[in-house]
Amino acid sequence: MCGILAVLCLQDCSLSKRSRVLELSRRLRHRGPDWSGLYHHENHFLAHERLAIVDPTSGDQPLLNEEKTIVVTVNGEIYNHESLKAVLKESHKYRTESDCEVLTHLYEEYGEDMVSMLDGMFSFVLLDTRDNSFIAARDPIGITPLYMGWGIDGSVWFASEMKALVNDCEQFKYFPPGHIYSSKTGSLRRYYEPKWFSEIIPTAPYDPLLLRQAFERAVVKRLMTDVPFGVLLSGGLDSSLVASVACRYIADTKAGKQWGTKLHSFCVGLKGSPDLKAAKEVADYLGTLHKEFHFTVQEGLDALPDVIYHIETYDVTTIRASTPMFLMSRKIKSLGVKMVLSGEGSDELFGGYLYFHKAPNKEEFHKETCRKVKDLHLYDCLRANKSTSAWGVEARVPFLDKDFIDIALGMDPAAKMIRTKEGRIEKWVLRNAFDDEKNPYLPKHILYRQKEQFSDGVGYSWIDGLKAHAEQQITDQMMANAAYIYPYNTPTTKEAYYYRRIFEGFFPQNSARTTVPGGPSVACSTAKALEWDEAWAKNPDPSGRAAIGIHEASYKEPSETPVMENGEGATYKMLKLQESIPVVPVK
Amino acid sequence: MCGILAVLNCHDCSLAKRSRVLELSRRLRHRGPDWSGLYNYGNHFLSHERLAIVDPASGDQPLFNDDKSIVVTVNGEIYNHEALKASLKQPHTFRTQSDCEVLAHLYEEFGEDMVSMLDGMYSFVLLDTRDNSFIAARDPIGITPLYMGWGTDGSLLFASEMKALMNDCEQFQTFPPGHIYSSKTGGLRRYYEPEWFSESIPSTPYNAQLLREAFEKAVVKRLMTDVPFGVLLSGGLDSSLVAAVACRHIGETKAGKQWGSKIHSFCVGLKGSPDLKAAREVADYLGTLHTEFHFTVQEGLDAIPEVIYHIETYDVTTIRASTPMFLMSRKIKSLGVKMVLSGEGSDELFGGYLYFHKAPNKEEFHRETCRKVKNLHLYDCLRANKSTSAWGLEARVPFLDKEFIDVAMGMDPDAKMIRRKEGRIEKWVLRNAFDDEDKPYLPKHILYRQKEQFSDGVGYSWIDGLKAYAEEQITDQMMANAAYIYPYNTPTTKEAYYYRRIFEGYFPQYSAKATVPGGPSVACSTAKALEWDEAWSKNPDPSGRAALGIHDKCYQKPAERHIIERVGGESYNKMLSSEESIHAAVPVQ
Repeated sequence: MCGILAVLCLQDCSLSKRSRVLELSRRLRHRGPDWSGLYHHENHFLAHERLAIVDPTSGDQPLLNEEKTIVVTVNGEIYNHESLKAVLKESHKYRTESDCEVLTHLYEEYGEDMVSMLDGMFSFVLLDTRDNSFIAARDPIGITPLYMGWGIDGSVWFASEMKALVNDCEQFKYFPPGHIYSSKTGSLRRYYEPKWFSEIIPTAPYDPLLLRQAFERAVVKRLMTDVPFGVLLSGGLDSSLVASVACRYIADTKAGKQWGTKLHSFCVGLKGSPDLKAAKEVADYLGTLHKEFHFTVQEGLDALPDVIYHIETYDVTTIRASTPMFLMSRKIKSLGVKMVLSGEGSDELFGGYLYFHKAPNKEEFHKETCRKVKDLHLYDCLRANKSTSAWGVEARVPFLDKDFIDIALGMDPAAKMIRTKEGRIEKWVLRNAFDDEKNPYLPKHILYRQKEQFSDGVGYSWIDGLKAHAEQQITDQMMANAAYIYPYNTPTTKEAYYYRRIFEGFFPQNSARTTVPGGPSVACSTAKALEWDEAWAKNPDPSGRAAIGIHEASYKEPSETPVMENGEGATYKMLKLQESIPVVPVK
Repeated sequence: MCGILAVLNCHDCSLAKRSRVLELSRRLRHRGPDWSGLYNYGNHFLSHERLAIVDPASGDQPLFNDDKSIVVTVNGEIYNHEALKASLKQPHTFRTQSDCEVLAHLYEEFGEDMVSMLDGMYSFVLLDTRDNSFIAARDPIGITPLYMGWGTDGSLLFASEMKALMNDCEQFQTFPPGHIYSSKTGGLRRYYEPEWFSESIPSTPYNAQLLREAFEKAVVKRLMTDVPFGVLLSGGLDSSLVAAVACRHIGETKAGKQWGSKIHSFCVGLKGSPDLKAAREVADYLGTLHTEFHFTVQEGLDAIPEVIYHIETYDVTTIRASTPMFLMSRKIKSLGVKMVLSGEGSDELFGGYLYFHKAPNKEEFHRETCRKVKNLHLYDCLRANKSTSAWGLEARVPFLDKEFIDVAMGMDPDAKMIRRKEGRIEKWVLRNAFDDEDKPYLPKHILYRQKEQFSDGVGYSWIDGLKAYAEEQITDQMMANAAYIYPYNTPTTKEAYYYRRIFEGYFPQYSAKATVPGGPSVACSTAKALEWDEAWSKNPDPSGRAALGIHDKCYQKPAERHIIERVGGESYNKMLSSEESIHAAVPVQ
């Protein structure tokens, strides 16, 4: 990833303003440790902090067209840049090998419509000096972060992270994914509007081969790199599929030829955690060069302020899950790896969260998956991008490939419904698509196993440690006043209060807290899905463990179900007492 | 390099204090981007930000002895760690492969005396939990930075950079190189006191072979690494010798077997600069994998505030020279290289600065070299360490090897005296030591060429650009008030004023400005050496160009010596910038 900052239509363009822009851009330096670029034209500044993944030696930004009239600062990867170059009617001279240079040339020929032509993850600001107009855009799902803000001097600001805007903008907000901002109209417009967006129930029958091929293409596209890379492997279904497909195709790619055809894989956890064990098993099967990173609860706790500063949220599950990812990213970077593939998005597309077991019908199931995908930029995309970018590591997410999403959300949702008695556990359509007897992607027991939800996989004592630490820090009296101190999105647990207090320390502005979603949820559901179960509506809890009675283990051993504990309104514990991984598929 | 922070004898050891220590340690994270460690015992905190060079997999810090009663947080490399391990009398269990773990075990057996046994560059704080005592120490020359400070709650702090101390200490200062602080005596004590330190004039005759061998040993020692590395190659004598020796021995080392037996070399400059050309020539000769980095004056200017924040000085020549090094370090790091060898120290040991031409006798010559070496930690060591550490890159400086210094400073200084007519240009003793006819280290014309002084090598317009920019930023009225605004070390040029203003913005404390040396200087001389030339004492100038009439070119074309220009109150010689300056001084042997 890179960090971008654009300050447009400034009133004052003095040397001190230049210094200020440099200073603000520096706050995004972790995203792009390799080089900085600042472009200044009249009352506009485009700044860039670069992480060099494609063309490290010459692709410094901002990038320009031939006459240097169009300038762009980009954070992202344009996977179809080669074919885009081919569609250009005029012949263009390229100054770099960067995949992003094509943007300026595309704009020259297609104007604002070029945004819909892009396949990749991106946030960019493009300035057309011929008429002093500019556009800003963010990828369809919001894999890359982008914020926009307004200065009291009439200036408009865009930045990869809000920490670059907080002090200089009177108001700011997140830039909605799939949108383009045009200075000509002065407003935002949605450019990404695929069929699934309307939430109409699709009827195309489930086609496993089509799904498989789409995913393979999504992974292969993302092997475009000039630097060493790897896969984040938790041992769950999603990351294991990413690793398996990457292993299968790495030898054909330029990256494989340059960096070796053995795939690197990485896993993080407390010592002895379920993820470490599961990932090792998959790594052994695939023959990856596997690295395990151990962290202690104390190290995780010590990192929390850093994590919250970087990921810019106070959402409890996001912070829990970001911390191990943040720690692991640092270690990955220290090994010289700059890019990783990661499994985010699958649970949203296929209804992989345990609470989907309670979906009353296929319509509700489908609508919930749509809502979840639309919200990804606030949760898992934000986590995956910012936890890794904190250390100059780029995360690529093949499940959120545009074409793959169309297929995954374009099939009759009846196929996705969970029917445990028929052996259809969650994400069955995906598991089945990769169930290749002749040339297996993964061993059956891995392909069909249920994995830990959320942060439990890194070790149970992680969440317990977080709660205990918050208990020490936050008094009952503080909780009693919580609604007065934090009237917006009032924290309801000590853990949430603790995170919120740290967040407010870094980002005290009202605009900042309103970038974070709130509202009731069970096990990461949307508020709407709480209607699926009466008990949920009464006692929402952010933890995955709360969707209790759903995990396969509970189906098999109902006698243990009553072993529960009430920790801050959350019911759990059962899952802790038993091995939670193996599930024999009933096919 | 790594970043260390120790907070000892805190009054308050609550969770909030832990958070504060973590926050302060984060300010040193650029030095050690790879991992963080924090150790808390009683009312003491030892914190560490790690750059993993040796044993990346397991060497996380702080480090312990066997029973974990002794804890140490270290920034540095102990080159003789293998020999030290062998010298331990008791059997010890080592938990890591880190070269620094030996410190805890050594202390167990030798107590404070262990400091003198170390060969390397280091700053560390060691806590003995058995009696709640602690020591802190810094390497002989101060290659690694260290600061110490005092809190109003009775606490004592040590940190690699002062940015981690400035808000929490009532007073702080540079930790003097070659010293140890012991909590038992509550004071600093010099532990490094070699013969040259007294500044008495040595009489050992110049031995070319001995000098060469000592330098080769110094370079080889520094090839101890488990990660990719390279050489900073400006094309001048010093960096070229480092590169030549490294190339010759890389094949024998573990690093060479792991990372390939071709040396990577790096050079920075404005497009078309003298250094780029000179370095390219040397790289071609040695067959290194050479990478050039170009920067623009605008990029350099934009980086100045960051440079000052990182290197923590307002010294004009240091900032000028640090900026290209800072920019280059970022690019080097982006290529995956974590460690570089660099040529600092040679000019001080051998009197390589042009003003040494005016040394009246060998005694004065020698004493000036001693003074220069003693001050290195304030200038070139500070620059080399902090410019690279800003990006998690470690610089190693073979010329400042303890044993090499003893040889270089232990010879009769008469050999170092510059005698143009006899073909003895500056640093002749070093050049001659590597003048091997049978198996040349470098081609003769490179071995005997005079190079740009200071920052001119990266391109003449760099210094000119800095001055012009400062001229824009600083008004005459500001200069008129300078002595009132900055009564301590008052800036005398607009450029100095500009740097000072940025420095004060980051480090407003009185203690901070007092860590930076001042006083008159010509071309980086000490104040004492101004006595060598009447003109100098009248018109001191920090630029190398000012040591006019000394550069070889001037010997050849005395007619041009008068082309002088006055810019911003500084006089310098335009002549040097208008012609090719990397020209061979043909050695008359």
